Amino acid sequence: MADILEDLKSLVLNFDVDSAQGLAKKAIDEGIDPLEAAKALTVAIREVGDKFGKGELFLPDLVCASEVLKKALPIINAEIEKKGQTQKSLGKVIIGTVFGDIHSIGKGMVSTLLFASGFEVIDLGINVKAETFLNSIKKENPDLLAMSALLTTTANEQKNVIEGLKKAGLKDKVKVIVGGSPINQEFADSIGADGYGATAPEGVKISKRLLGIKE
Amino acid sequence: MRRGFTRKFEPVRVLTDSQVETIHKRTLEVLEETGCKFESKKALELLKNNGCKVDFDSRIVKMPSSLVEESIKKCPSNFLVRSRNPKDNLLIGGNTLYFMSSLGARLSDIETGEVRVPTMEENNQAVRISDALDSIDLYSAYTPYFEIEGVEPVMLCSVSLANRLRNSTKITRGAQATDTFIWEIQIAQVAGQELLGNMEAAAPLSYSEDAINAAFAYADANFPIYIAAGSVMGGTAPVTIAGSTISNSAELLAAIVLIQCIRPGIGIIANDFVTPMNMESGDLFFCSLGASLHQMAFNQIWHDLYKIPTNNTGSAFPYSKFIDYQSAYEKVHVGMASALSGANMIVFHGGVTAELSYNPLLSVIDDDVANIIGKTIEGFEVSEDTMAVDLINKVGPVPGTFINQTHTRQWWKKEYFMPKVADRLSYPEWKSSGKKDLIEKAKERMQHILDTHKPMPMDPEADKEIDKILDKARKYYKEKDLL
Repeated sequence: MADILEDLKSLVLNFDVDSAQGLAKKAIDEGIDPLEAAKALTVAIREVGDKFGKGELFLPDLVCASEVLKKALPIINAEIEKKGQTQKSLGKVIIGTVFGDIHSIGKGMVSTLLFASGFEVIDLGINVKAETFLNSIKKENPDLLAMSALLTTTANEQKNVIEGLKKAGLKDKVKVIVGGSPINQEFADSIGADGYGATAPEGVKISKRLLGIKE
Repeated sequence: MRRGFTRKFEPVRVLTDSQVETIHKRTLEVLEETGCKFESKKALELLKNNGCKVDFDSRIVKMPSSLVEESIKKCPSNFLVRSRNPKDNLLIGGNTLYFMSSLGARLSDIETGEVRVPTMEENNQAVRISDALDSIDLYSAYTPYFEIEGVEPVMLCSVSLANRLRNSTKITRGAQATDTFIWEIQIAQVAGQELLGNMEAAAPLSYSEDAINAAFAYADANFPIYIAAGSVMGGTAPVTIAGSTISNSAELLAAIVLIQCIRPGIGIIANDFVTPMNMESGDLFFCSLGASLHQMAFNQIWHDLYKIPTNNTGSAFPYSKFIDYQSAYEKVHVGMASALSGANMIVFHGGVTAELSYNPLLSVIDDDVANIIGKTIEGFEVSEDTMAVDLINKVGPVPGTFINQTHTRQWWKKEYFMPKVADRLSYPEWKSSGKKDLIEKAKERMQHILDTHKPMPMDPEADKEIDKILDKARKYYKEKDLL
């Protein structure tokens, strides 16, 4: 059993996307506790995330490691659900690049690092309309909303979403963080966001701080 | 063996085939009709015995074209130079590019641009830094400084060599001035290392006795020889690029004839350091366009036609007094043109203030720049894997992305070069992390090298022996009233 858990960990540390589904199935077939299997994967992705933060690993490593989890986790999560078990996470995050903006890389980095840190991440993708953010927030009841904008012309869309939250009476129920190259602290304050991160690792730090999670 | 960089595509050519042929024929005409002056009876006799027309009074040697052509053929197109540490051996020639450290008389202060004579410790520190920088493959003679506090000028070359060999295992060039080659050969042999010997012309069309004696001594030690002419366009050579190409090649070919008569088959690397005169002042116009085009023509003729390895010195001495935009562009336009046109060696790292100064901090920065130039001539791979057609089809249109593909993870490091000291931070990151610039980052890397890099130590017996050779040299110069 320990071997398979180690293999799952190495899968992530070796960025082995191709073997991900096969090994996840093998783990379930051999009766490994799915919570343990999920833990092995998240411990490994956290290690990758830490190394990325220190400059020892690079963006393609981080993204490929998270691809391994994207392949392996659904199989393991299905087993967890089947067994009626529950997983602990640091909190639930909804993330997306705002409407009018199709930049995905920065948003993807934050999404991956949040996930690697132990958050449950719902990634709505790019070009996400305010309405879609709001509907998702109503449905999922997240702890945090993270929005990215890479263009000065789309930065204001972050404000539209926050205004929408206020109108819907949701603003106090979810913390909002914003990021992207045209964004700075001053802008974040002006639109009523709770936090701003200049880099993806900073985004994770601020998320933890806003939710009262110790480093 | 040091890998250097391998040029993987045809060099850039600035001359047509017929222009190369014409320039070569007209060069032979100069050697046959005017000849070259050799200030050495021994050389004159040797050249006479090999079929040259020699006038012993004027010391002019006229060389038959057939002898020049034969001598060119005797030069190997590549040759090995051995270090006391085999990982620093060089295989000079072919499509390999090595970088040689530049030099300066004194140490420059990067804040004020003022220069001062460095201490011995500063000299040795600079050598240790160069030993750690992977893009430096070898050293010029009297590198890094040609003035060191407390060292008598006549002893400088020998003392400088001794300290290079003590603080680094990279190959170094010897010098020729004032019999220094006698001591430099002995020092290198005791250290267990070969030198690139040295024979430098006094343009136009002349060789001093020192240069000739150096060639005999280096050839006798069976060291390969670096030949240089170093003329000034408009002063000691015609002002035109074509004319100075002919006079410079005539000088270098005359050296090749002599050296191949001394020891047939010996390895030779020919240096191009022909510089336009600055007509505003009479100074040398270093790092100029004229020097660059001259080198491109030189590389083409010597690489394509003569198949003799080439060195280019044109990028060694930027005029700027600072590590700034000017010093960067002066070096890079000349260095890049050298690499693209097929140079086997480029003198590059650390020189500022024309020839007047050197700064190891600039060498740390130039390590990145030399890597970029070197990797440019290595080009890139075109294969099924790199063309990635299957991947392009698999990823498809938006929202497809390449960032999450194993192909990206595997190839980016092979195809990218990440400079070590350039600032690549976003504006907010730069602001929040102390606003460090290139210079600050280079200082950090330099300090890290000084704290961690340990060159391979010299054998203690050899070290003592080197001191004895230096003592002998001092005695020799005292007897000659030069000390």
